Amino acid sequence: MSFLEEVCKPFLEDSQNADGGWGYHAHEESRVEPTCWSLLALAGLPNAFPHASIRTRACDWLLQNQLPDGSWPSAPGLTKSAWVTPLACLALREQGTATDSVSRGMLWLGDAWPGEGGWWWRLRTRLFGKDSTVRQNLSLRGWSWTKGTSSWVEPTSFALLALRHVPRTVKLTTLEPRRKLAEAMLLDRMCPGGGWNCGNPMVYGAAGQPLVGPTVWALLALGEESARPEVKQSLDWLELEYGHNKGPGSLSLAHLCLENFGRRPRELEPEIVTLYAANQFLGQVPVMAWAAIALSPARDWYRASVKDSG
Amino acid sequence: MALSTNPLMPSYSRPPSRVAILRAADYGVDLARLLDEGLREFNPPVRGKTVLLKPNFVGLDPLGIINTHPAVVAAARESFLRLGAARVVIGEGSALVRDTEAIVEAIKLRDFIGPLQSAFIDLNTDEVRPVKLRTRASSLKELHLPKSVLGADFIVSLPKMKTHHWAGVTLSLKNMFGIVPGSCYGWPKNILHWAGITQCILDLNSTVPSDFAIVDGIIGMEGDGPTQGNAKPCGALVLGDDPVAVDATCARIMGLAPERIDYLAKAAVMLGHLKEEKIAQIGEPISSVRTPFELIASFRHLRAS
Repeated sequence: MSFLEEVCKPFLEDSQNADGGWGYHAHEESRVEPTCWSLLALAGLPNAFPHASIRTRACDWLLQNQLPDGSWPSAPGLTKSAWVTPLACLALREQGTATDSVSRGMLWLGDAWPGEGGWWWRLRTRLFGKDSTVRQNLSLRGWSWTKGTSSWVEPTSFALLALRHVPRTVKLTTLEPRRKLAEAMLLDRMCPGGGWNCGNPMVYGAAGQPLVGPTVWALLALGEESARPEVKQSLDWLELEYGHNKGPGSLSLAHLCLENFGRRPRELEPEIVTLYAANQFLGQVPVMAWAAIALSPARDWYRASVKDSG
Repeated sequence: MALSTNPLMPSYSRPPSRVAILRAADYGVDLARLLDEGLREFNPPVRGKTVLLKPNFVGLDPLGIINTHPAVVAAARESFLRLGAARVVIGEGSALVRDTEAIVEAIKLRDFIGPLQSAFIDLNTDEVRPVKLRTRASSLKELHLPKSVLGADFIVSLPKMKTHHWAGVTLSLKNMFGIVPGSCYGWPKNILHWAGITQCILDLNSTVPSDFAIVDGIIGMEGDGPTQGNAKPCGALVLGDDPVAVDATCARIMGLAPERIDYLAKAAVMLGHLKEEKIAQIGEPISSVRTPFELIASFRHLRAS
């Protein structure tokens, strides 16, 4: 049996909580992010959801935890919306359910502006001048991790991925300008030489070091721009980095991204088996889900070529 | 219980603090024995308790100069177990790199402490609960914090001695940013920057104070820290049960004036001692390990005149 069948699938199925969600570790309190990755991973497996209740309960849990403003919180009890909202939209959309809920999430995304560029920021900039410690163009805005803070690469990438699958009920007029602005922001934030870190390509004149996770999400988000030299340069960096990184999460994400862009990375399974033997992925549900996604037949949710039809 | 219930005490009514400086030429020396001797001076109340070691694991660190060295972490773990701690766990929530396993594998932590599953907690993805901040230096009022931190009986801040391009220096107080979970607030934990680095250092350390601090100054980092600076051998471990006094002593070792470091000067009002005359130095004198650290231009005013 494969690692996917022998380890990933039983782990993810067994670690679902009674309430339908997943925690960051098996049977910890349910949280939105691990629930979304688990749903997306299980949906991609052969013979997905032998027990339909796994999917139903997971979707129900997500729906129950949507905030009144249409967003989702990153942890129970947090009433302010957060970066996990596009992931919830992606996961629910992939199941082909809850269009109304996804639409409300998308509308929230359209209205969720980061802190930079707001009136207070503009006033401060006018009074005290531009911050010279970072190089990036702060007028290019994406999405933030938490309400009212700065744009960063990963939440912006997640939002762009979700925007590829906008339900027809949502008016694109509000979302299209944001998509273009966010893509420009990602390109502006690329590290010199290719790849992305969290979103500071240059601080005090020193070039930022790219990281696998942000690079993968930015590349997948920019998938429709795959002819751009920035994308090619970043794929080259990711290809070089692949294999040096000893984190199973990074390795899995790098593999699925390289494959998505038609590169041929070294086989993933032997390395994943070795890394699992070392630390059991530290019991992290998202890492197991990413490994499952990378090892299973490709799914549509991160592909640039797929447009919404529903 | 990690949440502070002690009354905040103005500096003038606090008894003097003690800080130990231990000389260690490199990471190959018997650090556990050295720390045993140092900790004996303080007799930390850890018997039967759960101790959380909070190192600074912030980057993939190909040159071994960004993170608290795993030899120091392992030695501290061994020493607290020898002092009778029931359990010693290592917890960190890296601010910039989400793939914590990549970091701990890159620094070979497993070679020093054995299987990670039972000994290491990724604080970024731990279960959380809301905590009202005890002070109002920032506007945050409340943060969701990891249960492993809140449930620990005794917290040890275990940073690397480094300069920092936003805060001047990063030592045991700033190191507590790592308890704020990325799964709630992102990578980086940008909410803390928007609310003010100095202010958040004060709020975090007044709410979840570390009970003890051990600073890895065997090889520190100067210049564009916390991740892009240069190695600075200093050959010292600095420890004590007053984190403000430990950080102030480290600053003096680094050739800086602690009262010019904004967050340290403010922390000294209620959280510990900054003034040299209020800190009893044990072990090596500061002068024997003083090693001026380079600073980026915007922080050169921190240098002791």
